[in-house]
Amino acid sequence: MNEIVAIAKKEFMDNWRNKWVIAVSSIFVILTLVISYFGSGFGSGGVGWKDLDVTIAGMMTLVSILIPIIGLMLGYAAIVGEREKGSLELLLSYPVKREEVIAGKFIGLGAVMAMANFIGFGIAGIIIGINVKDVAWGDYFIFILSSILLGLVFISIALFFSSIFKKRSTAMGGAIFLWFLFEMIWDIVLAGILMAQYGIGKLSDPDFVAPSYYYIISLMNPVKAYSTLAALNISSISSNLGNLPSFVNTPFVLAILFAWMIVMLAGGYLIFKRKDL
Amino acid sequence: MIEVSNLRKEYDGVVAVDGISFKVEKGEIFALLGPNGAGKTTTIKSILGLINYEGEIKIEGKEARSNEKEIKRKLGYLPEKVAFYDNLTAIQTLQFFAELKGLKNVDFMALLKEVGLEKDAERKVGGYSKGMLQRLGFAQCIMGSPSLLILDEPTTGLDAVGAYELREKIKRLNEEGVTILLSSHILSEVQELSHRVAIMNKGKIVAIDTVENLSKKFEVEPRLRVELQRPSDYILKLVKGIKSVKDVKADGNVLEILCPPSAKLSIINTIEEAGGKILDFKTVEPTLEEIFIKVVKENE
Repeated sequence: MNEIVAIAKKEFMDNWRNKWVIAVSSIFVILTLVISYFGSGFGSGGVGWKDLDVTIAGMMTLVSILIPIIGLMLGYAAIVGEREKGSLELLLSYPVKREEVIAGKFIGLGAVMAMANFIGFGIAGIIIGINVKDVAWGDYFIFILSSILLGLVFISIALFFSSIFKKRSTAMGGAIFLWFLFEMIWDIVLAGILMAQYGIGKLSDPDFVAPSYYYIISLMNPVKAYSTLAALNISSISSNLGNLPSFVNTPFVLAILFAWMIVMLAGGYLIFKRKDL
Repeated sequence: MIEVSNLRKEYDGVVAVDGISFKVEKGEIFALLGPNGAGKTTTIKSILGLINYEGEIKIEGKEARSNEKEIKRKLGYLPEKVAFYDNLTAIQTLQFFAELKGLKNVDFMALLKEVGLEKDAERKVGGYSKGMLQRLGFAQCIMGSPSLLILDEPTTGLDAVGAYELREKIKRLNEEGVTILLSSHILSEVQELSHRVAIMNKGKIVAIDTVENLSKKFEVEPRLRVELQRPSDYILKLVKGIKSVKDVKADGNVLEILCPPSAKLSIINTIEEAGGKILDFKTVEPTLEEIFIKVVKENE
């Protein structure tokens, strides 16, 4: 356990020293404040501070793109970078098991993600809270926690690629491919399948309910699972959900996100332990 | 201390280590010697559990794979290519590795002083030269007073003084009871340091013994080195004519004579009787280089 803590601490301190935490926090602060102040101005309302629940609605799309990128960037080189450099050989000559290296890196990078989210969204939330009345702190807190969870999923995906590849560039390629898959390709393919099965006419029917497999496959995409989790628990964006089958609830979506983490970390470990250094 | 049995390792169908077995006794300096690609580093990496392998490795009587953590707490490793974390200072680097080993109350400055890096303790390792990295590598290796040191090409990157100091430290640690397994391509270094040597070639151990025994086994004999005031062809011819003399090489005013120890006296007498004035003479023991070349050539 001490070994995991030592690795996690080092990983966190590395990102603290190289200003990653501050950089990411600053992005979150600026983004949140800009959307809160100008967000409605782009839409129907005027310019000015809006409550946090309105801000969340404006933030969801941006965060669901940005957090996966940050997670992948944080983690893709964590193991393969050390392997390329040669420090992994020395690290593993110490009483540290490979699963402890992965766990330590995950915890350390997860702490970076969590801290950046809390500092960034926290500072922005306080500024907004000072300027508006009746702040929806509960919804905002759920939004921050959901965003951290999404970040952890993408850190685990990045660590998977970092564990299985020998080169940093290949790991980065894998991470970029997956980001495209989840952000762009997944929904298009699913929509295509539905269209082929039911035709455009039926899909445009407002009472149309897609078959269960559609929701299951759609929610296997962690980005979709994140937005659904947020919509299920934050009232201001719950209208985004549409008609959902009854099995799509908070525990189900949480299970998907945690399953991603476990499968990626365990899969990465199983391949990593067979690798020669 | 270390018991390697039938160790075998293949990389993509190429055999790197081919069923080797050897023992490193407690308290000895044991060297792995061999040309590039002989399998030395693969053997060391297997002992450290850095690669998957076939066969069995025991350290202090315990199977290495199933007792990985316990074993690694007692050993120090200096890799051939030392790589640390560029953003950490030397002190932070040692602190991190001490934490991994569960060491407490380590005097990091004393360790850095030991390797001559005390003035650079707060400098980031990313700005270190190759020699400084090697020194820091040795400091992390001996941290916590391990009972077994595994050193892969330990003097790589060091200047002559640094290499000498490191060799002295290795000797001192061994005198204090530390068992040392080292690999090196610098034959004089191996000859100076090691009690026993395993010569590897093409993944196999082709010879294993003390340097002295290996020289007997492979019939590499000592040379008599005679410095003359004024050498002549006549003296050279006379020495060559002595029955037990196997070879004579003249280099300026020095004769190097390959002969059994029993022939030394008759050679000296012959030179003096021929009017040659001897300024100096000494016996040069066979070098590991000679043994190494002979063994490797025989096994090709």
